[in-house]
Amino acid sequence: MSRIKHISIVIILAFLGLIMLLDLNKIPNQFEYANSIYHHITNNAVGETGSLNFVTAILYDYRAYDSMGESTIIFGAVSGIVLLLSRKTLPVSSHGLSFIVKRTYGMLTPFIFLFSVYIIAHGHLSPGGGFQGGVILGAISIIFSIVYGSEFDYKRYTPTTKTLLETSGALLFIGIGLIGIIYSGSFLSNLNILNSEPGSLLSAGSIPFINLGIGFKIGAGLAIIFYSMIQKTFKEEASL
Amino acid sequence: MIILKYLLLIFLGVTAYLAISFKEILISIIFLSIFSIVLTALYLIHNAPDVALAEAVIGAGLNTAIFMTVISQIRADEDCHCRKDD
Repeated sequence: MSRIKHISIVIILAFLGLIMLLDLNKIPNQFEYANSIYHHITNNAVGETGSLNFVTAILYDYRAYDSMGESTIIFGAVSGIVLLLSRKTLPVSSHGLSFIVKRTYGMLTPFIFLFSVYIIAHGHLSPGGGFQGGVILGAISIIFSIVYGSEFDYKRYTPTTKTLLETSGALLFIGIGLIGIIYSGSFLSNLNILNSEPGSLLSAGSIPFINLGIGFKIGAGLAIIFYSMIQKTFKEEASL
Repeated sequence: MIILKYLLLIFLGVTAYLAISFKEILISIIFLSIFSIVLTALYLIHNAPDVALAEAVIGAGLNTAIFMTVISQIRADEDCHCRKDD
């Protein structure tokens, strides 16, 4: 029975793959049309937004409203996980890993932090942006709990601090959107606050601010998710 | 470059198959992490460094840590259960 099931699954997957491969050839080549969005973005994006990285220009300028929806989804996920899993007990963990690992990670942490801040701040110039840099910020906190034991990071940066960081990031994003209504009449329109020439760090209007807000929001949100997940484990370890 | 691309695609398929073929969940998580790293290289070859960065950080780093936490939590639950039965 299970053998027939396996073979049928493989046949169905192969059939679906063949259909997708055939459909892939039917996608119209967008280089052929003169007025397609591809030509508009490659010709005008630097002049309109000042961002050299077109992916960031689309994510936080042309389609910034979609990014706000995505960050709302992450906010909902964090709220749900905290509601389901969080307990009001201080996590009591093991003492972490060995002395060598602790010292090595202690020396590496400033560089990891610098890298994440670099990715956030240069989101409009090089690959990356608020989301990727924010995940590295969250990863610093997560590796702290693995290497030093969960008490270390929990006592220094309590969930209240992390929640404050997350909501301030979200408020920065929405605040820039609301200022856009007053300034030029549409939600999340590009305020030309930083308007030096494209390619320098202080360029691209409000995109760096939105990157900063998204970075804090994602980093703090992922750290909150991780710490609310381990709290239950360590409570049960303590009860044994 | 084309040879490297197809080699990585084959390796992607192999790691994806290995990830679902083990009973031990810990091995599956490690293979998923390798899957993410191979996918990162493929994204880089296809000129998508933004997606590659996100995949490297989330797929290889964060997913592994969160899955490990979930596994340890489930096993702690199971241990508690056994000890209560004894």
